[in-house]
Amino acid sequence: MKYLYALILYAPLAAPVCAGQAAYTVRSTEIKQQPFSDAATVATLGEKAGVDILSRRGGWVKISSGQGNGWVRMLSLRSDSTAKKPGDSGLQSLLNVGRSGSSGITVATGVRGLSEEDLKNAHPNPSEFKKLQNYAATKTKAEKFARDARLKTRQLDYLPDGNP
Amino acid sequence: MLNRTLLFFGTSLLFLFPAHAFDFDFQKAINIAKKAQQATKTIDEPEEIEIGHGIAANLLGASPLLPDDKVQQYVNEVGRWLSLQTERPDLPWQFGVLASTDINAFATPGGTIFITSGLLQKLNNESELAGVLAHEMVHVLRKHHLAALQKGARMDIASELAGEALKDKANPAVLDKAIKAGTEVYARGLDKNDEFEADRMGIVIATRAGYDPYGLPAVLQMLEASNPQDSSLALMFKTHPAPHDRLSLLDKEMGDSFDGYPAPTQADKRFDSEIAQQK
Repeated sequence: MKYLYALILYAPLAAPVCAGQAAYTVRSTEIKQQPFSDAATVATLGEKAGVDILSRRGGWVKISSGQGNGWVRMLSLRSDSTAKKPGDSGLQSLLNVGRSGSSGITVATGVRGLSEEDLKNAHPNPSEFKKLQNYAATKTKAEKFARDARLKTRQLDYLPDGNP
Repeated sequence: MLNRTLLFFGTSLLFLFPAHAFDFDFQKAINIAKKAQQATKTIDEPEEIEIGHGIAANLLGASPLLPDDKVQQYVNEVGRWLSLQTERPDLPWQFGVLASTDINAFATPGGTIFITSGLLQKLNNESELAGVLAHEMVHVLRKHHLAALQKGARMDIASELAGEALKDKANPAVLDKAIKAGTEVYARGLDKNDEFEADRMGIVIATRAGYDPYGLPAVLQMLEASNPQDSSLALMFKTHPAPHDRLSLLDKEMGDSFDGYPAPTQADKRFDSEIAQQK
């Protein structure tokens, strides 16, 4: 039960992480009116153009930028620290504030991190392992679970290695 | 193939130098190559599962399960459904949410997958969860940890693993050694190409199961935007290639062929009721 409270305390982090996030293009990319490759082009962004991510739909993200607003391919954007303009408070610092709250969680619940040292010094916990085994779902249960949410299988081959 | 190359190389040397000067090292090199080859072959599925269960029990020693039946069952249903889209659907797949503020996920040989409650709380929908679980499942499918264990293990353990000793139930010491060496792999991390492979295959498994292929990339973007100094990300960042590089590779590999695979809204609604409501 106390873990439930821990989860409730985390509520501010439940908001979509990408909303309002600063990002930059890693290649020239077209801003589309709709999230489809054959939609009308609003403008073309060059490499390293700054944008703000508003939301995501599949492989497309809705952005606003100096050159126009619309949809660009999600993987044409990166949001690591180089995206941060000087003096830009941005979402990253917002996230940092949220995360520093994790120490509060630790105090409240005893839930803590999992470090390299923890792994190196770990001893087996057979009773937790038994619990784990009891949670396993059968194939039949999994198939019903998929049907309940109308998840339909698709035929698709694995992709070739993109590393040269 | 390695043997043949060595043999060819060795034979060519024989013509250039007096044979006896090279005989010993040459033979030793061939033996090592043979042993390494045997090692990956001789851990059969029951042993793989046993080693994996031992490592899983150790990981649970480092962090217990989140005491929430509903969440644990939900994650098991998503994971088991994904497993049915893989080439190893009959492994004893089991999934656990670890009660840890760390942001990470783990796979152990034979089909045990863990996600921390810290990472679970950062996810926005079932497709993102499926993406993370599918990535981990690839480590099992491709036996990445067994390979890392054998590569990193001391020679004596490696040769024991290659031999019959592991099958000797009266001698659990060998299995114990394998489990101990196996657990250390999680502090060290896998080869970065194994991680790239897990991304590349993971998105396909999630898509096959009916999920949005961009669930995993969305998680990687969330990680990329995170503060790299955050202690809850320290182990994950240490043991994985940078999210930037993982995204660049996925960009190349996915191209524009993954449009038009939306997840049903029912799945996202279900995630909200199973997970988000509890956040």
